[in-house]
Amino acid sequence: MNTTLRRGLGLAAGVVILGAAIVMFRPTREVGYIEIKTVPVASLTQTALYIDSAKLAPIKQGSAILQERVGTLRLQADGLAGSLTPLCDIVVRRNRITTVTISVLERPPRCQCRFSGSDATRACVS
Amino acid sequence: MKVSLPALIQSGRARFAVAALFAAALTFSAANASAEDASNSNSGSPISPVEEFSQQLEAFQRSVPDLSKSIQDSASTIDSVTDPEKARAEIDRLRATVSGLLGAVSDNGPVSQLGVKALDHIHIKLKALASETRYKPEERLFLTDQWRKLETETQNANRELDDARVQFAGLLQTLQQNEDFINELLEIRQAEKALEVIRHLTADIRDASTQLNKLIEGIKPPGA
Repeated sequence: MNTTLRRGLGLAAGVVILGAAIVMFRPTREVGYIEIKTVPVASLTQTALYIDSAKLAPIKQGSAILQERVGTLRLQADGLAGSLTPLCDIVVRRNRITTVTISVLERPPRCQCRFSGSDATRACVS
Repeated sequence: MKVSLPALIQSGRARFAVAALFAAALTFSAANASAEDASNSNSGSPISPVEEFSQQLEAFQRSVPDLSKSIQDSASTIDSVTDPEKARAEIDRLRATVSGLLGAVSDNGPVSQLGVKALDHIHIKLKALASETRYKPEERLFLTDQWRKLETETQNANRELDDARVQFAGLLQTLQQNEDFINELLEIRQAEKALEVIRHLTADIRDASTQLNKLIEGIKPPGA
């Protein structure tokens, strides 16, 4: 393979990767973030947590940062008889992080908001 | 932590040669895959999750100079404005930039998910190799060593990605908290105080940008 062809292929590969990166890293919808901290810190949280009905992967080293759609989402945990127990509501705002700490030793686990909304909403806000 | 990528990777021609060698190695590896591996619906090629993770990490690293420039430009703009409203708009724009990048490396973001997938794949391969009977002991040992090396590199890359995630999140939190404080100051007509906060904020932004650059450039994609 000659040098020009190799350079051309290299350039084409670069363009494809860069294009994919641009598409991949560009937010396609209104999103914000939830930072979940668990206490006590464990290498892997055993308690199953859910955002609305979507089960979260076990939280590593007591912290996870999740990208979520903008809106009010419900953090839940496994309850009795296979039902989900609501822990708290989390308000996700565009390009902002809402932090919530979960005490996993309690049954059911308890939410502690870094900042809370009004008394009416009683949700964690950013 | 290592800050610079190997000089070999920085050369375009050498990078292509490395990529070609890596592709050849993958092809060879694919040709030797067992029937059980082929039936594994998780991947088309045995090493593809690791390669995919590596490629996405490199793509992410390539976006760093742009991020750095964007952050530094924003800091300069914010530093030079005398109108707090304009500074607030610039902070909002910067939040959008940082947010986009945090999205890629967040725990449920594409790069982090690929990291988890790559590590899972390596663990499956190591488990399969432990009971593999087709190869001579020394061949099996060689393959195991190579997968272990990839495992270590992938774990390191994931750990460094964790650090970058924390830094991005910290910068986003700094921006949003300062923006909120500036808003409050403007509400009570304290424009001078707002400008003072803005000046302090630019120093924090520049520090965070430098730290982020070091962290992200220091990530060594597995197999690279």
